[in-house]
Amino acid sequence: MIKNKHNTIALIVVVLFGIGLFYAGTDGFTAYTAETARTNQLIDDQPAFPLVTLEDSNERTYDFTEFEGKYVFATFIYTSCTDVCLELEVNQAGVYDQIPDEYIGEDIVFLTISFDPEHDTPEVLDKYRSYFEADGETWRMARIPDQEQLDNLLNEFGVIVIPEDNGHFTHNSAFYLVDPEGYLIDVMDYTLIDEAADKVNSILKTEEGD
Amino acid sequence: MRQAKYGIILYIFLMLPPVVTLFEFNMTIHMHMQMPLLAAAGMLMYPFLKQKFPGFFEKYNKNGIPGIILFLIVVSYWLLPRAMDEALTIPAVEIFKFISWPFLVGVPLRDSWSKFSVMGKNVVLGILSILFVLMAVIYIFSDSQLCNNYLIVEQITLGWAFGFIALALIIYIVQQFFIDHSEYEE
Repeated sequence: MIKNKHNTIALIVVVLFGIGLFYAGTDGFTAYTAETARTNQLIDDQPAFPLVTLEDSNERTYDFTEFEGKYVFATFIYTSCTDVCLELEVNQAGVYDQIPDEYIGEDIVFLTISFDPEHDTPEVLDKYRSYFEADGETWRMARIPDQEQLDNLLNEFGVIVIPEDNGHFTHNSAFYLVDPEGYLIDVMDYTLIDEAADKVNSILKTEEGD
Repeated sequence: MRQAKYGIILYIFLMLPPVVTLFEFNMTIHMHMQMPLLAAAGMLMYPFLKQKFPGFFEKYNKNGIPGIILFLIVVSYWLLPRAMDEALTIPAVEIFKFISWPFLVGVPLRDSWSKFSVMGKNVVLGILSILFVLMAVIYIFSDSQLCNNYLIVEQITLGWAFGFIALALIIYIVQQFFIDHSEYEE
């Protein structure tokens, strides 16, 4: 054992280094993908919804202040998407259905934002809206015609959109909750419908109590 | 010192900005070409380092265990989807990649390998194949995009590449039990 003293020291150093490396590389074993790391960061940072002009399925244009005083439950999609977006929207509908009627439209608005403004015209959005029985009022679907504003929003909210050659996009998906002052307060896993609905409901309830 | 020279040439070549861009453009090439080549550069530089610091390896990696643990830890770190993303977005992580692969993966691997018995080598290869099978399963079957900088289709390709490497390692380990190598050694 004495003979191997240096060897043992080296082994301990290596193991400590390894723990340190993994600890630093995963923010204390909490984030193994850059996506989780960024979501955690977003929730810490709470960025403001930037200035954008939205054009919805009813061809109305307005900026985000339209929703001042209300929570906004948002998702980002493109309508030609054949897999994740459909699931994302079905799940968003699932959350919508679990919010008591008295809050809908009054305290919270659902918003689906397209990041494919070229293809997703108000007509296309209107058709897409009908698939999920969104009423276009308390659950709106909108595009951001100005590419610069859109990129700015995607960047601020950490939505990564990589165009592919065939009109499709690779993108990350989540539920985004914006507070009545326009700050992003939560980014939720879009596959956990009940959890997201419970969270939103409890926030709305405390708000009501105030 | 020919090897060291080749190692340094390879190392410098891999650091040339256009080469870096080319290797990092594709996820599979990033993980299965650039990273191992950096390790290879380190392995080629090893004899030179051993000659320069003969006591160091003898003293601190006497039985080869610390070296191989270091190798496994650093390789595992680079298997994290996040590490690959951050190598592209955070300069410090990119620099760490270029230092860790040659000097914390390549060098200790070659030093430890020479100290291991056939059994020891098989254990290491076994651990690597388990790790790679696991990575194959994760990358092929994950529904979500694990790396923000790469498309899902590349992620799946990477998963298959892991699978094939694991398969090759397993075949290598297994064949040893059936083939008497002394018959072929002169």
